[in-house]
Amino acid sequence: MNLLLNLFMKHFVTSADAASNVGFWEAMKPPIDISTNGHLIDSLFMLTTWLILFFFFFVCLGLFGFSYLYSKKRNKKPFYTHGTSRKHIAIVAGIGALVFIMVDMQITTISNRDFVNVFLNYPKEDQDIVRVQVLGQQWAWNFRYAGKDGVFNTEDDVVTLNDLRLPVNKPVIFQITSKDVIHSLYFPNARLKVDAMPGRISRMWYELTKTGLYDIACAEMCGTYHYRMQAKLTVYTQTEYDAWLNEMQDRADFTTEKDKADLYWGWKWLADTK
Amino acid sequence: MAFFEQEIHDAPTTFLSKYVFSFDHKVIAKQFLWYGIAFLGIGGMMALLIRWTLAFPGEPFPVIGHILFPGNGGVVPPDTYAMLFTLHGTIMIFFAITPILIGAFGNYCIPLMIGARDMVFPTLNMLSFWLAMLSAVLLLASLFTPLGGAAGGWTSYPTLSTLIGSAGIGQTLWCLSLFVLGVSSTMGAVNYIATIITLRAPGMGYFDMPLTIWGLWLTAILNAIFLPVLGAGLLLLTFDRVFGTTFFLAGAAATSGSGDPVLFQHVFWIFGHPEVYILILPAWGIVSDLLSFFARKPAFGAKATALSMTAITILSTLVYGHHMYSTQMSPLLTQSFMMLTMTISIPSAVFFANWLGTLWKGSIRFDTPMLFSLGVVFVFGLGGLTGLYLATVSTDLYLHDTYFVVGHFHYTMAASVLLGGFAGTYFWFPKMFGRMMNERLGKIHFWISMVGLNGIFMGMMVIGHAGMHRRIYNPFVYEFLQNLIPLNMFITISALTMGAAQIVFVYNFIHSMYKGPIASQNPWEVGTLEWTIPSPAPHYNFKDIPVVRCGPHEYGNPNLVGKDFQYQTEELVKA
Repeated sequence: MNLLLNLFMKHFVTSADAASNVGFWEAMKPPIDISTNGHLIDSLFMLTTWLILFFFFFVCLGLFGFSYLYSKKRNKKPFYTHGTSRKHIAIVAGIGALVFIMVDMQITTISNRDFVNVFLNYPKEDQDIVRVQVLGQQWAWNFRYAGKDGVFNTEDDVVTLNDLRLPVNKPVIFQITSKDVIHSLYFPNARLKVDAMPGRISRMWYELTKTGLYDIACAEMCGTYHYRMQAKLTVYTQTEYDAWLNEMQDRADFTTEKDKADLYWGWKWLADTK
Repeated sequence: MAFFEQEIHDAPTTFLSKYVFSFDHKVIAKQFLWYGIAFLGIGGMMALLIRWTLAFPGEPFPVIGHILFPGNGGVVPPDTYAMLFTLHGTIMIFFAITPILIGAFGNYCIPLMIGARDMVFPTLNMLSFWLAMLSAVLLLASLFTPLGGAAGGWTSYPTLSTLIGSAGIGQTLWCLSLFVLGVSSTMGAVNYIATIITLRAPGMGYFDMPLTIWGLWLTAILNAIFLPVLGAGLLLLTFDRVFGTTFFLAGAAATSGSGDPVLFQHVFWIFGHPEVYILILPAWGIVSDLLSFFARKPAFGAKATALSMTAITILSTLVYGHHMYSTQMSPLLTQSFMMLTMTISIPSAVFFANWLGTLWKGSIRFDTPMLFSLGVVFVFGLGGLTGLYLATVSTDLYLHDTYFVVGHFHYTMAASVLLGGFAGTYFWFPKMFGRMMNERLGKIHFWISMVGLNGIFMGMMVIGHAGMHRRIYNPFVYEFLQNLIPLNMFITISALTMGAAQIVFVYNFIHSMYKGPIASQNPWEVGTLEWTIPSPAPHYNFKDIPVVRCGPHEYGNPNLVGKDFQYQTEELVKA
């Protein structure tokens, strides 16, 4: 027990140093939201929480209240009822209906609305958007930008490893697949994730609102070093992004070995068919 | 109502026929109980190793760390970590909860509570246990193969679980082990269903059965339908691994022909979602009964509770897609699964209302089994309600595969089922072993477990909402998870507390078996059929097959004189 206490203290003290400006409640918050639509998920989460707390309050009220009021000591004579009278059935059915209407139908409607109108509502191909192809592998993320010609899987593509850089305030569409096992592209700061599956191309879109450096993770178990499958997301202003992309472009023109088949893991961009 | 005459055979006399290869449902139930408790210990130990790694990455596990991982200075290595959480899930679900709740209580309670002398197929029953034993041997053997046991998560999604992701024979053995276990459970399930249909005592209609039997019956039906589906999936996976087929391989990974890894997820979750109800239904049944028994009041709306459980059983087969939102199924499927999942809350709300209705104006006795039952109402309330976040697709985009999911399903499957199982153990212990368990130790066990498990699983939900994803060896390589170090330590300390509480239980269990006070025939003053016979239950249970004349929850009838409950064999007293 002493050993445990020492360890706890040691870690607690060191970690408190590392994150000294983070309070108890602050630490429980999800990471900062940097996308235009992340607040939809956060607000639905909060709404669900309040609804749940409302009903759980009544469960607790019943559970603890009845336990207190009707303990053997307090209430010697139980009330003999099978709960089959019309009134009782109506109350129980009413509770069922109330939960369904107040909680389930509400959050389903909201969730469905956001899902269809926002998360599935991909930006049109003729809009000014950034396109990125993503290939997951054990244990890294490959990102591919189309390059000057705007066509994927050509020799002027910009290809990076675990390093995604995007401009702020511009819709980004990802097309994602995997080379070996199932991975899941997870942007905690954008509140989104989607599986990367071998043999399939999945899609995701978002628009970022804050510049800075953020984490990208793999959320689906993909082997021993799953936890190390970490990439970095750098969000630039448009000018910084253009400068970076130009530099990468020049570098790609010089360094891409035209005959190396490994470099051509990309695919023809799949335009939205809808 | 019995379909045929149940004969009384002579009691077995040799050690082998009495304790090992026994046909007696009571002995088989105890075998399953020991089997389950042993694996509960192993799985719990694994959980502690996992928790230790998450809270103190790089620190050697105390005391046994150096024995287990001498090559790594007592620290859990990352590949072992993957194996640990895979086997923790597998063991807890298939080798601990299933044997205890279904194997032990199913075998023990069904014949006794419906007034039968044994299961309808005693040989099948015995075979079911010994196949489960074979399956355990296969699973444990996989630990000693060159690359260790399975390490692809308990869901073992291909292509990680094919040769691409796990080359060792451990994963193959894992598949075979679960396949054999599936056969064993299906045998048990068929037996339960047939027994309940054919061997109910004369006079016992379906709604005169205790709700425990309802829970076990519905579980058995789901088991019989859906375990073969898992078996089929596992066989295909084994073919992929051993014979080079490509059912679940695709893309660059498939060298000849192309299947689809997502197909396995469909097959797995068609089984996997009913599986969570397979685990929880017996606990619901037990709790619904015990609340009435100890509130000394008829179960409120017992018929509605039974029908809600049936409704959930049916709905549970239609909602599995909510485990797969992140695979981008067609939007129509996603929306349908979301809507269907939501409808489950109607029957859930109904039996929650009924549980509270049972307590209302009762005369509640707070014995240990009752405390555990009330605990189930609390933790299942939390577990069930937090499922809503995961059923709505947009919040699931963020929460999927985070610790929020882990916290949620542990609340429902670990906390509720475990507490339900403990309630059952404390309740039927006198009938099983003829002695009482210690009440004081039982209450200590309850309160420490309750504090511990809420600390663990509430903490998990908090760190999940803060973005920490599942199955990672060291979360703190990520910058956005740095804040969560103290919370992770808090969870681990809670887990150690909860683990310590189980030592109290094991001591109480074993000590009471030999030294506990002798139990009377009916220590809890309960009217179901198993309490009409001596404790421990004699060989072949009932000397004369009982005739049932009233329901299982007759308490506090004002017309009764001298006692407050009726046996099911008595005519209902009317004014």
